[in-house]
Amino acid sequence: MAIAEVPRFVRADGPDKVTGSGRYAADISLTGQLVAKFRYAGVSHARITRLDISAAAAMPGVFAVITADDVPDVMYSPVVPDRRLFANDVVRFEGELVAAVAAIDAATAQAAVDAIVVEFEALPIVDDLEAAMADGSPLVHEDWESYAVTGDTVQRPNVASFSSIEKGDVEAAMATADHVVTSRYVADACHALPIEPRAVVAQWEGEKVTIWTSSQVPFDARNGVCETLQMPASRVRVVVPHLGGGFGGKCGFHFEAHVAALARATRRPVKLVFSRQEEMVAPDRRREGMVVDITSGVKADGTLVARTGWIAIDNGAYTADAAFFPQLAAMHVAGPYAMAAVKIESSLVYTNHQPSGSVRAPTAPQACWALESHTDELAAVVGMDPVEFRRHNIVDEGVEGAAGQVYGEIGLRRCLDAAVEASAYGDDLPDNEAVGVAVSWWPSFPGPSGAYIKIDSDGSGMIITGAQECGTGSVMTLRMLAAKELGMEPEDFQLVYQDTSAAPYDTGATGSQTLLNNGRAVIEGAREVAAQLRNVAADHLEAAPDDIVLVAGQAHVSGSPDRSVPIAELAAIAAEGEMLIGKGSGTPPQYPTVSAMCVGDQGLAGWAGPQFACHAVHVRLDRETGVVRVLDVSAAHDSGTIVNPIGAHGQVEGGITMGIGQALTEGTQYGEDAKQRNTGLLEYKLQTAADAPTIRTQFIEIPDPNAGPYGAKGLAEAPNVPTAAAIANGVAKLVGAPVRQLPMTAERVWTTSMEVDR
Amino acid sequence: MSFTIATTVDDALAALADGARPIAGGTDLVVGARHGKAPLPDALVAIDRIEELADVQLDHDGVRVGALVTHADLVTDPVIVGSYTAIADASALVGSPSTRHVGTVGGNVMNGSPAMDTGAPLTVLGARAQLRSAGGSRTVSLDDLWTGPGRTSAAADELLVGLHLPAAQARCGSAYVRLEYRRAMEIAVVGAAAGVTLADDGTIASAAVALAAVAPTILAVVGANDSLVGLTPAVAGPVIAELASDVAAPISDLRASDRYRRHCIGVMAKRAVDAAARRAAGESIAVPVNRSIGIGAA
Repeated sequence: MAIAEVPRFVRADGPDKVTGSGRYAADISLTGQLVAKFRYAGVSHARITRLDISAAAAMPGVFAVITADDVPDVMYSPVVPDRRLFANDVVRFEGELVAAVAAIDAATAQAAVDAIVVEFEALPIVDDLEAAMADGSPLVHEDWESYAVTGDTVQRPNVASFSSIEKGDVEAAMATADHVVTSRYVADACHALPIEPRAVVAQWEGEKVTIWTSSQVPFDARNGVCETLQMPASRVRVVVPHLGGGFGGKCGFHFEAHVAALARATRRPVKLVFSRQEEMVAPDRRREGMVVDITSGVKADGTLVARTGWIAIDNGAYTADAAFFPQLAAMHVAGPYAMAAVKIESSLVYTNHQPSGSVRAPTAPQACWALESHTDELAAVVGMDPVEFRRHNIVDEGVEGAAGQVYGEIGLRRCLDAAVEASAYGDDLPDNEAVGVAVSWWPSFPGPSGAYIKIDSDGSGMIITGAQECGTGSVMTLRMLAAKELGMEPEDFQLVYQDTSAAPYDTGATGSQTLLNNGRAVIEGAREVAAQLRNVAADHLEAAPDDIVLVAGQAHVSGSPDRSVPIAELAAIAAEGEMLIGKGSGTPPQYPTVSAMCVGDQGLAGWAGPQFACHAVHVRLDRETGVVRVLDVSAAHDSGTIVNPIGAHGQVEGGITMGIGQALTEGTQYGEDAKQRNTGLLEYKLQTAADAPTIRTQFIEIPDPNAGPYGAKGLAEAPNVPTAAAIANGVAKLVGAPVRQLPMTAERVWTTSMEVDR
Repeated sequence: MSFTIATTVDDALAALADGARPIAGGTDLVVGARHGKAPLPDALVAIDRIEELADVQLDHDGVRVGALVTHADLVTDPVIVGSYTAIADASALVGSPSTRHVGTVGGNVMNGSPAMDTGAPLTVLGARAQLRSAGGSRTVSLDDLWTGPGRTSAAADELLVGLHLPAAQARCGSAYVRLEYRRAMEIAVVGAAAGVTLADDGTIASAAVALAAVAPTILAVVGANDSLVGLTPAVAGPVIAELASDVAAPISDLRASDRYRRHCIGVMAKRAVDAAARRAAGESIAVPVNRSIGIGAA
């Protein structure tokens, strides 16, 4: 189904990145540039009683020290605007900014940061999700009721956003069950951890500022600067050089305004480069901790009849983009299963932890891990094979899901069959090995997006797009789409991207949406250019424009390949008059409506372009130590049509590897002071290349008419969803019980096995 | 700040006498400074180009391992792999390929981390540290060298020039096993090394066991020999597991609880004795043991 005959490697950014000639934000240095450093709260919850910057500001080589007093008093964040650029009274997590310094060099800037005097009056720490929701808990935001919350968002004390999914009479349905199983699963927070710590460089020219930043969402970054510094979009340009990974950690608006404010105050370019520790503590992006309670009723024949769920999500101190997390988590605790009655309540709970934000498939890996572990418990209680149990209960074409969406042709059943078939499931394995299986789903995110296309006088193409490349290769895939429309090769196109002043809007490298939305825009723009080319060719070849075919770099008359002219020649002609310039945005796919009742609806109970997946993971357990090793992963994904198979395989392999880390080794550890204890790569253990298992990926390609180009859905996040769940089910088979905490560290696995033995 | 490059031991010793600190691979010193553990010293003398300290040499009563021999070299050195295999097991696990290519055994020993990988193997193999200063030289046992976490008994002007290993005996074998959560860029959660000599009847004729990351320094298991001599390796396993867990004094930290460490050090000790005995019996177990059996095996 791929649009090229043979899979092609079309990474325009590949050679620069591999050879080191590519430039990242930290590589940018400007004349007269100063170094920025931040003063962080360093405590998790306290009232500022004294803030004295005078000694720091007086130090030689220090050009500016700014605080809340030096920027507009603006509350920002989408949906729940609950934070400011700098703390102005209360600090609510250790990484909150109190002041920022610009100095001649890093050592001077650090000395000035250290010379800032901040005194605090300690406030009670809120770090337990259930205690935070209890009556009488200290509040993280005393004046939460005054915040200008938008949409249908529902708030409660210490709850930034509450959502529910409710359908049918749960009590009555549960009463018909032969078995009722209740489970609790608890997931630790973890990090996106792009290998490139972020950097921001800001330079003013007159009243305009240009900001180079490592952002996945340049337009969000620009809009954040506009909002917090109260400037029109026309005066702010955000440029992203090559981006060294994101995984969601660089979504949202972060420090662009702070650096711009420093640059304005000093009348010099200012550059901020984060350390690894800062990257792990300061951004309002990390994968949220979660407590999940699930109760399900099943008939003796394995039919799922009802489900209730209670979810508490660690929002951290501020809400970032997380207002939709409760609803999305609820959808994942419902899961891709049919059931007549469901009631899931889900709360985004304020704590004095680092704020949570969209990391690759937010809420989904943890919620899927809880649900799919629970699903194996359900299968066990009715004595069914876990795969058979899933076949019996999953959604399929014409079936209504938990939230009331009725699905068209979807590939979940085929994914389940394909992944299990490709694995060692059911084989006779050594007694320390097992295969665990999990199914999952994930929405596609339709949205507005734009691109320009032009062909220059020499016949070379240019795609000028608002889309952002964060390493997935999706922007690179745009070249394939334009080339196909214009009868050219992907390599004939250069890209101008990641520049808010050059290209029309795009949401950015977030929500698996680049190909889905910007692909549509590029195709539309390319078609406009194709029409222009046909007109020029029609004049040249003395034929009707509709009879002109663009193929293999030539325009020829349909049925007469000999009557042809190179596109480059037409481009030269056009360059003298009506130029070859196209634009596109197109109409985004529509979100379906659903029948469930949703309190605190954030628009995510009905999914356009729903993606489905199954992972079957072969694990080995070292029984004496609890160390789990992933031997191989069989993955099957329905992400609609696969446009760029090489890129798609890379997405799945990366998502699985990230999922293994989340399953086994990656988890934030907190002290009693609510501060993170493992903020370096020695103690926060990512998976390494040496740990990567064999990964076998199959795509179940069912074109989705309400999705992206050629029926493609998103793909970047879905592979990250079911891996931890599948590993958990393999481990549970070997241990004899599920490990109820994520990550399932060796010690937790060993402790669980000790409890089973006892 | 000053930085000088020594090409001879005497150059290096002169610099040390003037207050400089030595740097070879820099895998502890530089990384530690970047993490704020300790600032870089004001004066550094680079010793990585002193060729006379960079080889493994047989001498009349054993083997001398130069302080600048890298982990990558130790993993492939035929003498080390053949007769002092536990050292190769350990060096093969250090950091990443790039760490192993610049990191040296001397740096590992003098960094004095209780979690160092080469420490337990060197201890069970009876290594002694050769220290030199402008004023003279001396040889000390490793037990006397390591005085606490990150601390040694070497004076500031003394340079570790090498480690001396006694001649290997017939029917001897050694192994190092560690608990690790991933297969690269890892540090021992706990580790154990064993050196075993077998009698003709296959029972243990002599044994030494040392433990990593369960005490302020590498911990030689006193009584290991007395407890294991005369036992078959199969019987010896549970015995050393219990003994190792008993003598360990682990802490709780980000990597593990003391309880889990105490359990796992017994498992590691048992596996180390088992692998050492199998090697002593002539079985070939590829380096590192961690990748051949048990944890992390492919």
